[in-house]
Amino acid sequence: MNIVQSAILDPTVGWLILAAFSALWIALGWYWGRSAQQLDDYVLAGRRVGLALGTATAMATWVTSNTTMAAPQLALQMGVWGMLGYSLGSVGLFMFAPLARRIRRLMPSGYTSGDFIRLRYGTVAWRVFLLISLFYSLGWLVSMGMAGGILIHALTGIPYHYGMTVILTICVGYTLLGGLRAVIGTDFVQALLILSGLVVIAVLAIREVGLDTIHAAALAERPELLNLLMPASIMFLFNNLLFGVGEIFHSNVWWSRAFAFRAGVGFRAYMLAGVLWAPIPIVAGFIALAAPALGLNVPAADMVGPMIAAKILGTTGAVLVLIMVFAALSSSIDSLLAATSILVVEDIYRRHMRPDASAAEMRKATARIIVGLGILTWILCAPRLTTLAELLYFTGAFVASTIWPIAAGLFWRRANTAGAVLGMIVGSSAGLYSYFAVGFYVAALVGAAVSMLCVIAASFLRPAQFDFTNLKEKHPSEQQLSGRPSVESGVSA
Amino acid sequence: MIISITAFSWLIGIALVLTVAAPLILLGLLLRDRKKGELW
Repeated sequence: MNIVQSAILDPTVGWLILAAFSALWIALGWYWGRSAQQLDDYVLAGRRVGLALGTATAMATWVTSNTTMAAPQLALQMGVWGMLGYSLGSVGLFMFAPLARRIRRLMPSGYTSGDFIRLRYGTVAWRVFLLISLFYSLGWLVSMGMAGGILIHALTGIPYHYGMTVILTICVGYTLLGGLRAVIGTDFVQALLILSGLVVIAVLAIREVGLDTIHAAALAERPELLNLLMPASIMFLFNNLLFGVGEIFHSNVWWSRAFAFRAGVGFRAYMLAGVLWAPIPIVAGFIALAAPALGLNVPAADMVGPMIAAKILGTTGAVLVLIMVFAALSSSIDSLLAATSILVVEDIYRRHMRPDASAAEMRKATARIIVGLGILTWILCAPRLTTLAELLYFTGAFVASTIWPIAAGLFWRRANTAGAVLGMIVGSSAGLYSYFAVGFYVAALVGAAVSMLCVIAASFLRPAQFDFTNLKEKHPSEQQLSGRPSVESGVSA
Repeated sequence: MIISITAFSWLIGIALVLTVAAPLILLGLLLRDRKKGELW
């Protein structure tokens, strides 16, 4: 069946929705970012973000298109544990909360996760870490760009290249206009849209079908979905947990927020974001369990969410899903563009190429890198190679191998360079081997376990005595910021 | 081991209540931060 013919919305309606929300994001991005001229204002929102915006941005960024589309798919394939396993992605947010507090306290003038690894473990570990982090960021960007094109095409019939181009162009546009302030501001609105849309669909699903009927129909037709002892689902649960922790611990998306939040906000913002995020995959997922009760034939499991929304709510349901998906994609792509651009500028441009770069030059370079990343992502998404999107799954092994070097490095004086380097290299290799030898559901698990052994063994064999005050590096560009000190620098969290 | 209808209803119910509360909590915090001058 041609997907354009099976699209649940008319392309004209799709274009109108995309145009309306694109105009809104650009206008809000310009409005919030109009005063972000200085480097810190542009890349770290002035380091003064409060609890409300901090919580919303952490939550919305972690709600990717996968959360709203793959959670129903997993519920349909793995049942109750599928949606509960996805929900454990919130553990990463909870566990990062104390790290965010410590990062803000130890590095009040820091810019990137790369800064931490360089100062804590030295150049070799820093370069290994940058390879992992940039590979992951690009993988996430490409998978989101492709998901945008594919989902917009599936929902509205708008050709893949048009949808993918629109989502990337709009995100580059407002991130360029307002930097992290625009990203965080729009994330708040996007969080409200995602949550409201989800509530409407879930409440109407319960009212139209009923929890009793959903449970009874699933029990009669697919009882394995309600089985709490489904082995593959339990493996998925643990792997997903560690993958999520690795993604959050290492990525500059989360570190840049730790630097951007006002002193004392990081811990509470990440904890609350975890509490508010955890139920989303369950609410999005249980809707899929209504498929047997509705007698719905689902040809592609990844489209079960929109199909059920459209079945229950008609065109309104499909419109709601499109708005939610557009908001979820935008809130992740903009964050990746902002966080990856400063990682490239600070850790590659300034540290490797232009050590004397002024704040104004770094501000200009950040804008150029945002555009460059957008173009590179478009080029990689254009051939629509699904194998590229699948690259993100490989990264589970890589990112999980960074959990221990980062956590131990932040809290444990004895953690040393050899352990961190070995942990990342040997952990990634072992995780990757297990990915091919056993399956995707063990890659992160093995990567994290081997990395843990390396970090702990090396630290006991040759313990370091790291002085944490070494992390309080004075950023040279601070002194060039029109003579004003960095806001709240030195304030203890 | 099949999840009972009671446990299933509680699971979905709690998740739904939290999801309904989330936008209200965020808006409440936004107003509070704005009042204290701590929005940005």
